[in-house]
Amino acid sequence: MPLFVKVRSFLRNLFSSHRVDADLDQEVQSHLEMLIEENIRLGILPEEAQRAARIELGGIEQVKEQVREERIGNWLRSVISDCRFGLRQLRKNPGFTAVAILTLALGIGANTAIFSLINTLLLRRLPVRDPGQLVELLHRYPGEPHSNGFSLQTYELMREKNHVFSGLMASSYQTLHVHAENLEPHIVNSAFVEGSFFSNLGLDPTVGRLIGPEDDQVNQPSPVAVLSWTLWKNSFNLDPAIRGKQLIVDGVIVTVIGVAPRNFSGLEVEIPEDLWIPLSMGPVIIPSSPARRSVALVGRLKPGVSLEQARAEMAVLYESTLDEDARTTGNPYLRKFKFEMEPAGSGHSFLREDFAKPLFAVAAIAGLLLLVACANVASMLLARGTAREHEMAVRVSLGAGRFRLIRQALTESLLLSVTGSLLGIILAYFGTGLLVRIILAARRVGPSLQFHVHTDFRVVLFTTAVTALTALLFGLFPALRSLRSVAAQSLRPASGGGETRSRRFFGNCLVAAQVALSVVLLSAAVQFVRHLSNLEHLDLGFQRDRLLLISLDPQPSGLQGEQLSQAYWELLGRLQAIPCVRSVSFCGTTPLSGAGANRGVTVAGYELKPGEIRNVSETWIAPKYFETLGTPLLAGRDFDFRDQGRPRVAIVNQTMARYYFADRSPIGSSISFDGDDQPYEIVGVVADSKLYDIREPTQRAIYFNIFQQPSPRSQFIVRTNISPAALSAQAVLTVQSFLKTVTVTRVTTMVDQIDETIVPERLIALLSGWFGALGALLAAIGLYGLLSYTVARRINEIGIRMALGATRLHVTRMVFRDALGMVCAGLAIGVPIAFWGKRVAANVIAGLPVESLTPIAFGSLGMIALALLATFVPARRATRVDPMVALRYE
Amino acid sequence: MNSEPTTLLQGTLDLLILKSLVVEMHGLGISRRIQQITRGTFIVKPGSLLPSQHRMEEEGWVFSFWGDSENNRCAKYYRLSKSGRNQLDSETKRWSRIS
Repeated sequence: MPLFVKVRSFLRNLFSSHRVDADLDQEVQSHLEMLIEENIRLGILPEEAQRAARIELGGIEQVKEQVREERIGNWLRSVISDCRFGLRQLRKNPGFTAVAILTLALGIGANTAIFSLINTLLLRRLPVRDPGQLVELLHRYPGEPHSNGFSLQTYELMREKNHVFSGLMASSYQTLHVHAENLEPHIVNSAFVEGSFFSNLGLDPTVGRLIGPEDDQVNQPSPVAVLSWTLWKNSFNLDPAIRGKQLIVDGVIVTVIGVAPRNFSGLEVEIPEDLWIPLSMGPVIIPSSPARRSVALVGRLKPGVSLEQARAEMAVLYESTLDEDARTTGNPYLRKFKFEMEPAGSGHSFLREDFAKPLFAVAAIAGLLLLVACANVASMLLARGTAREHEMAVRVSLGAGRFRLIRQALTESLLLSVTGSLLGIILAYFGTGLLVRIILAARRVGPSLQFHVHTDFRVVLFTTAVTALTALLFGLFPALRSLRSVAAQSLRPASGGGETRSRRFFGNCLVAAQVALSVVLLSAAVQFVRHLSNLEHLDLGFQRDRLLLISLDPQPSGLQGEQLSQAYWELLGRLQAIPCVRSVSFCGTTPLSGAGANRGVTVAGYELKPGEIRNVSETWIAPKYFETLGTPLLAGRDFDFRDQGRPRVAIVNQTMARYYFADRSPIGSSISFDGDDQPYEIVGVVADSKLYDIREPTQRAIYFNIFQQPSPRSQFIVRTNISPAALSAQAVLTVQSFLKTVTVTRVTTMVDQIDETIVPERLIALLSGWFGALGALLAAIGLYGLLSYTVARRINEIGIRMALGATRLHVTRMVFRDALGMVCAGLAIGVPIAFWGKRVAANVIAGLPVESLTPIAFGSLGMIALALLATFVPARRATRVDPMVALRYE
Repeated sequence: MNSEPTTLLQGTLDLLILKSLVVEMHGLGISRRIQQITRGTFIVKPGSLLPSQHRMEEEGWVFSFWGDSENNRCAKYYRLSKSGRNQLDSETKRWSRIS
């Protein structure tokens, strides 16, 4: 009952406030009149009666306000009035408001954008039962990215012999062609899953049922499939009769038995899956050799089993499979694979490994930028606070409590912050789109990835928290400052010399803080940009600029063997004839394409040590390959077209020569390879160059003559004198006009191909560069603003000084001294932080060149230069002061 | 016996107002009645009385309505509600237990 009454009162106070107020007004008036009457009845004269009554009442407005304060919902009323007042104040200073909102928008927007990426990549949980119990099984060759594909035998062994999982799920990703009646054929991301997949994940179907063990039998007469909710909606319009519908998947008829839960799209972050089919159907739908089939494995830990325990046990099981696999495939490298296990509550991600740390680094930088923005707005508010002193004093004298004043100031800050964050969210939306495009440019040898940034409650929570914190950070301090000075100043009109020492000190502190933060930002930016630049100018062992890469597919033409060799040889000539082409060649795999092969080699006269790796990388190349790439031939000769049909020849790189032959010349020596009965004669030695990855250590490499191979490979490389992009059209035309039936599958430049492998570094460099520049700019603006303001306030003082004999130079020196004082204080704080940050960054980003002092030196110098620039105008304004005018200025 | 007006605790003031509202009264009347009950110890200013009255109305302990005063003036009257009466009873019992 009381609750109902209170709610009713609350609503009445909120919505009928006019009526309630009018009522109150009348009540107080009538109370006063009754008091007057009472006094008159007591015999007091009317005038005296009125006065006494008013004194007893205590003031009509005061009484009314006291009643209002007791009302339910009064807090809401005062909040609303604070907001209205705040809005009025902000509207009165449109310039300040605009700059503050923009500054905050940049800071908050940057942080929101980065956080949404981090959320999508790292934080989002899979919509399954107890995602915390899920782990993914991985293995990796040391130095390479991890792989999550295991052979079916390994899977079966692990499933049978483990004691740590309550379920081990296998799935195999595949793109399939799907069509049905009333459905156009299109490509669907699908997965073959074994029978216990859905039950282990604890999912309930939206419609029908999900795949179970009984559906995953070999020789299943009626194969089944499960759709994703998205596919059901987009392709079947949520047709309730979807159960029993037949689909044709790569030519095989399957029956739909159900639809998965709404949010579920598989366990891959970047590949949303829309169709699930039992694993046993794999060989039927995609007939290919069973050896190549691999499955991704995700396990659910038994209650009480830790990740460590599970990892230890599965590692042992995995090792036991390695010996078997190494034996059957004859690949000794397999034994070097290491087993790993990671929590899989957020699914498996291809991009997480490469981008998690860079994203954190960028998040830290964005955080710094926000701090700079806050300091900037705070110093602007501080400057404005002087103007509000008078108004504050009036309010204090009218009875406003300190808390009330602070709350009102904070409301204004919150209004700024909220508006800034709304604008920032819009900026973040576009920013995120841009960032995703950059991230997706990273090459993965494998399926093409999608990266859909989810804006869920975490992002909203984050943005709200950041907004509130920002408002507190920049709003609380100026509010407290202006309150403190109110007590001292009282109601005297604001005088020109009203610069209290402590106010100036705190204003200077804020600018110094901005300088410090900006130095850190700039240093970080220079560091990351340099890192990227190092990678982009790394000595690769060949010239990366002006190299055009053209990939061909001769299969449609039907050309093979000798015919193809002859065709390619002629094509070489034609490409060479194009103006501005310096040299042409072709090969099996281009450097740094991520693809490559290796073989076990036996070198005549070389003693094998036990356990030694006999594999060297091999590349098939045409003549003039090294000339086109720009790798110097150190000894012997290059390959020749005429080597065709003659005994096999090979060229080794310097590392291999030194490894097997020490100081002797390898030319003329004979070597042979596993699986090949022909001997090879070494005819040349070439300098080392990068083969697969820009970050790899040098390794032994051997090159074979592509014309000694039955059928030549088709990666053409063209060294141009002008920009390769300019020649690409003509080159492609030349190929197509000569070999009409051979398809051109890919045209790119070496620089672009390499760029695809360094996307994380490019991302950090780009973002830290922008944020660094932005932060420095904000600090400079803050410094400029504060100095202008200070000069304006001190015009009186300057005038006196000049009248007493100070020259323009003195005045200029005075202003510059002030500025440099703040900058030096800022540097004193910022440089040590930058050093510390460098150490932290070195732990996070591999290969960062942290020994050099250049970034910090550059950052500091940059800040000093900007500060000098920012001081210039206020200094000039100070020197322009006319003492006569200034002395009259009050 | 007009000693210095001592500050009243909110709960005590509420109780005094409730006690005064044994019959319907307007604001001034309540104030004088409290003065009477406490034998002049407590002179409740309108600045304290009116807020309390309104708060108690929002709690649901009293009703208010406009009526004619003794001199035919329009005045706001207050009346105890059932829950107000219960509140008065329980508070009185509590006080008598303490004292």
